[in-house]
Amino acid sequence: MSSYRRVGVATGALAAVPLLVTGSSSFERTLAGLVVFALLATALNVAFGATDQLFLFTGALAGVGAYTASLSAAALGVSAWLTLPLAALVAGATAGLVSWVAARREFTAVLVAILTLNLQLALTELFVGASGLTGGSTGYPFEALGLAAAGDALGVSGTLVLYYLLVALLGLSLAGYVRLLDSRHGLAFAAIRADETAARAAGIDVVRYRTAAGALAGALVGVVGVGYIGLESYVAPSLFAFLRVDVLVLVVLVLGGLRSTLGPVVGAVVVVTLEELLRLLITGYDTVVFGALLIVVFLYFRQGIVPAAEAALARWRESGDAEEPA
Amino acid sequence: MPASGGVRTHRMALLLAGDGGPPAVVAAVDPGQLLAVAVDAVAFGLFLALLGVGITLVFGLGDVLNLAVGTFAVAGVLVAVALVDLGVGVAPAAVGGVLAVAALGVAVDRTLLSLVYRSEGQERVLLGIFVTLGLAIAVDGLLVKPFPGSYTLPVEFGVVRVGPAPLAAASLATIAIASVVLLGLVLFLRHTYLGRAARTVFQDETGAVLVGVEPRRVRSLVFVLSAAVAGIAGLAYAAGATVGVASGFEFTTFAVIVSVVGGVRSVPGAAAAGLLLGVVVQFASFLVGTFVAEMLLFVVAVAALLARPEVLG
Repeated sequence: MSSYRRVGVATGALAAVPLLVTGSSSFERTLAGLVVFALLATALNVAFGATDQLFLFTGALAGVGAYTASLSAAALGVSAWLTLPLAALVAGATAGLVSWVAARREFTAVLVAILTLNLQLALTELFVGASGLTGGSTGYPFEALGLAAAGDALGVSGTLVLYYLLVALLGLSLAGYVRLLDSRHGLAFAAIRADETAARAAGIDVVRYRTAAGALAGALVGVVGVGYIGLESYVAPSLFAFLRVDVLVLVVLVLGGLRSTLGPVVGAVVVVTLEELLRLLITGYDTVVFGALLIVVFLYFRQGIVPAAEAALARWRESGDAEEPA
Repeated sequence: MPASGGVRTHRMALLLAGDGGPPAVVAAVDPGQLLAVAVDAVAFGLFLALLGVGITLVFGLGDVLNLAVGTFAVAGVLVAVALVDLGVGVAPAAVGGVLAVAALGVAVDRTLLSLVYRSEGQERVLLGIFVTLGLAIAVDGLLVKPFPGSYTLPVEFGVVRVGPAPLAAASLATIAIASVVLLGLVLFLRHTYLGRAARTVFQDETGAVLVGVEPRRVRSLVFVLSAAVAGIAGLAYAAGATVGVASGFEFTTFAVIVSVVGGVRSVPGAAAAGLLLGVVVQFASFLVGTFVAEMLLFVVAVAALLARPEVLG
């Protein structure tokens, strides 16, 4: 099955899921949250998966997008749909600048991780501290995407409208990811990952490719941040905290499969299902399980579900071929 | 046993600056008050130095950036608080807290870190970051149910008056304890066989093996030592301020910043950076507010990373 067809099948499956349980607002919210995290993990797959830049400020970048879109929409008195490109631009420029500086200084993945973790903490501190603008830690309500009105017009909930918008964005992003990796850029990313010095010697502009990947990932995260506050209906710094966003995005991506197209989707489905089961079985200990999951995934299962399944499938096919007479 | 004194944060200086937060006119601050702030600042700085040294020792020896160091500090305090609630005296309870953290250190070293040390180079560094982060999250999750509030060591230190200066006795105690521990660490590394063995591994692992030092055993010892130091740091801090489960990650970020600024493989560097950053941040929060002070901390860390990335290489 071609990569594009797989993306189509996955997106179609996600589009069909709300039909299983209709009219449950909590189910719709859970699903929309799942797609938000699949999208964030797709962005991290570009930054970390494709170019080895371990971004630990996904939460802060989502916040940059969310605050940019909501504050500028409020200031101009327009819909947040009009300010959405600005969110992509500002978050993309922020991430691109960080990538550019880090690539010029020849930072390793670990250094990028520590640098962006510091930026994550500084930015969330800024969201709290600039309370004149952001309303401090209490935040402010956000309805500027007009989801409820759109839902009323269509006879469904606003959350369901948002869900389908997010699924459409996910389909586009995954198709874009496939296309990106199939392009000249994808070849350059692979060359840089394999041997940075050799890539540089072969005339590949490492700084430019890293910057482009970082900016692209940042722009996607900025847009998703706006969808995220649309889902939550309010904007507050705690939404973008490291322990709330980045840790989950990392588990989703690595569990699903780093550098695999559908890894973010599979990871998000598994993690969200697990989260819901935990809520039913043992309340209050979900952080314990997630901490343990982070440890186990990194120690024993860095391959990820999708690559592991592909390898198993390939082995099964091979043994099937071997049995047939030549 | 939640603290009755309302919200006390690590910004001890603000407590002494009065109820109204940072003074509007800096010139109005009297010298006695400045001295009091200076004492609190040094106490906070030495607390940061202990945390930073905890990170530095482990990273220098085994390339593991211990993101659970703040959780270790908080765990020590919470165990001590629980012991006091059971009727144990404060001093033995504090010792119990440190021993409990050291035991946790042994368990983590035998299990998780053994698995991390199997990989090499950059992969080990990444693995160390995520395994200790997962550990911190898991331990925080376990602690938050029995300890949902903010806690402080139930000791009334009061205020010591030196001339016009109302000095917080808790800060003086923190300074005394932290100085003794830092000095002890330096003497241990300089003058004992195990300390010298540790420094050998720091500088040249192959060479250390050649002269008969077993790096893995030294790593275990130093990890447990760093856990105990983190526990002591937490207790020294909790003598004058409240600590909750959520403080753990905050402490870890402080420790990472200190070690990044001081050089992640240099114990004296980390100690000096902790002291310096603590003093600067306390004075900044006293003079211009906590928000600017915390931002300053992150800006300094980012600047240090950009200026000398090789300290983490």
